[in-house]
Amino acid sequence: MRRVGIVGAGGISRTHADRWNQMPGVELAGFYDIIEDAAQRAVQRSGGKVFGSMNELFDAVDYVDVCTPGTAHVQPVIAALEAGIPTVCEKPLANSVADCERIVEVAERTGTPLFVAMVVRFFPQFAKAKEVLDSGAIGAPGVIRTVRSGSYPDGGSGWRKGLAITSYYADFAQSGGVLLDLCIHDIDYQRWCFGEIERVFARGMMFAGKEPKDHALLTVRFSNGAVGHIEGSWSYPRGRFSTRIEIAGTGGILEWDSRTRPPVEVALAQEDGSLASSGSSPTAPKDDPYYAELAHFVQCTEAKEPFLVTPYDGLMAVKISRAAIESLETGRPVTIS
Amino acid sequence: MTRELESLNEVRLGMFSFAHMHAASYIHFLAQMEGVTIAGIYDDDYDRGGRIAAQYNVPYFRRADGLFDQELDGAVICSENALHAPLVLQGAGRVGAILCEKPIATTASDGQEMIDRCRETGTKLQIAFPMRFAPPVMELKQQLDAGVLGEIYSVKSTNHGSMPGRWFADHKLAGGGAVMDHTVHVVDLLRWFWDTEVEEIYAEVGRELLHPGLGIDDVGLLSFRLANGVFGTLDTSWSRPPSYPTWGDVKLDVLGEQGLISVDAFEQNLQVSSNEAGKTSDVNWGSSGDEGLVADFVAMIREDLEPSISGEDGQRALEVALAAYESARRVEPVALPI
Repeated sequence: MRRVGIVGAGGISRTHADRWNQMPGVELAGFYDIIEDAAQRAVQRSGGKVFGSMNELFDAVDYVDVCTPGTAHVQPVIAALEAGIPTVCEKPLANSVADCERIVEVAERTGTPLFVAMVVRFFPQFAKAKEVLDSGAIGAPGVIRTVRSGSYPDGGSGWRKGLAITSYYADFAQSGGVLLDLCIHDIDYQRWCFGEIERVFARGMMFAGKEPKDHALLTVRFSNGAVGHIEGSWSYPRGRFSTRIEIAGTGGILEWDSRTRPPVEVALAQEDGSLASSGSSPTAPKDDPYYAELAHFVQCTEAKEPFLVTPYDGLMAVKISRAAIESLETGRPVTIS
Repeated sequence: MTRELESLNEVRLGMFSFAHMHAASYIHFLAQMEGVTIAGIYDDDYDRGGRIAAQYNVPYFRRADGLFDQELDGAVICSENALHAPLVLQGAGRVGAILCEKPIATTASDGQEMIDRCRETGTKLQIAFPMRFAPPVMELKQQLDAGVLGEIYSVKSTNHGSMPGRWFADHKLAGGGAVMDHTVHVVDLLRWFWDTEVEEIYAEVGRELLHPGLGIDDVGLLSFRLANGVFGTLDTSWSRPPSYPTWGDVKLDVLGEQGLISVDAFEQNLQVSSNEAGKTSDVNWGSSGDEGLVADFVAMIREDLEPSISGEDGQRALEVALAAYESARRVEPVALPI
């Protein structure tokens, strides 16, 4: 039995804890958070114990899962790596390129496994799209377009209301707005599909004084000449969350849109004559992307195999997101060094 | 019914070239309109011109001059892009009105000369931007005019297409590839929606990215800022392969303070699976913007109106496409007007 401890008891920790609790051979040891109340609440809902310090947690676990906000990754991640404990780090690897580089340096020096949780690579439709591209079915890479757009993450679900993370997102200097929080997924995914990125150009609302609303449209040029487009939004009306993939190549095209008709639709007549309808797209538990990424971490760690997402990938995703923010500030394309 | 017919002045039109496939759609609708006479067809391609002339039972003219001599009220010009200018210059002063296929020309100087000559000679010049007449786009325009979105933030748009081949891939005749072909429709809509101009454009243009050996750009990703502060992107790529269910799209996602309006102008389709075609195709049943466009052109002639879409509108849209190429060459944003 492997024991995992979660550092940081905010939003994403609940998602991770649920998956750890489902995973055979893994036990959730508990939580550490600088806000003890938060750790207490997390333990109440997800189990395990409250650790009084990070070192106390490190002493009790085989894996560390860092779920703090991006600005607070560097310290626990480096500490866990120095302690030799295989570590999951929620994305972004860190909020600054310099912090990412420190983390990558420690990971390389210590050789401790570090997995950056770029979960989009584990979404079955995104993974399948990459597989189809790699199969050659649509030819060589040409244009890739992805969308990740919704409303501001401020507690559409009640449990999130009042969490520190809500104001964290709205403080773009901290969170990096949609470019660092949301588009980073698409940057990583597109880079995974099409290879290294040469330059980015961004337009967006990050500096438009509309916080917490944000919205960005990115154009990407890859080293192989292909181009990419990314939309990320915290300005869509609530309930209209949307993700899309479109990859065009020399031999064809593939598309997926979360807005197309779901495989299960429930339409129920209400007593007042109105309609209550909902849709879902169920998958097997093991194909849940959060479960899949954490299971991948365990499998690779135990087999001493490299992860699908390397610390360098995590660094590059932050570097390119930061370049996009720089493009917004300067109004010019930014070349990735 | 008879009285209505009598009340309509006859409008005599000449069709100049079927090099652009839109001409087939325009003549289809024009031929059905009350009081419209197709006086003849000119085409430098004898086979093509002769075939269509026979189909509509109208005279074929081997030379444009011959058709301009037929006491026309209007000329519909759908030649290769680079030949718009010589045909318009030839017709200016000889016909009352010209409907010219987009883009107006392949160079800004050609476009300006066409506008100037038409103005000097009293010929009305209308540019063919049929998307203004597509009902889903008109609905979007109405919603925007009603202000339902509040402050407008951004527009994400696409005008994807299939690679059309032929002269469209010949720089001399087309003036450019996917960017020249597919920038102007959406740019015209943006200008029309908000009575504004594109103020700055950045473009990533890809040459032969999807069609090795094509010899021209087939991918265009434009990022723009409008004078009214709205920013957005436009994908002009010829990224729809022959196996795709349809030729392409015109899609606009307009995001504002109060929400989002998404328009897919060609989404009114039957899905037809054909063993003969070997694929499933979208067969559009929506109302054609082309019909509204040519009806507007005929009404302009009949009622002596000013063009609803002017040569200047065509020129502004062309300038954005040219600026996109310039931006790609310089790898930096380009301010308009150049």
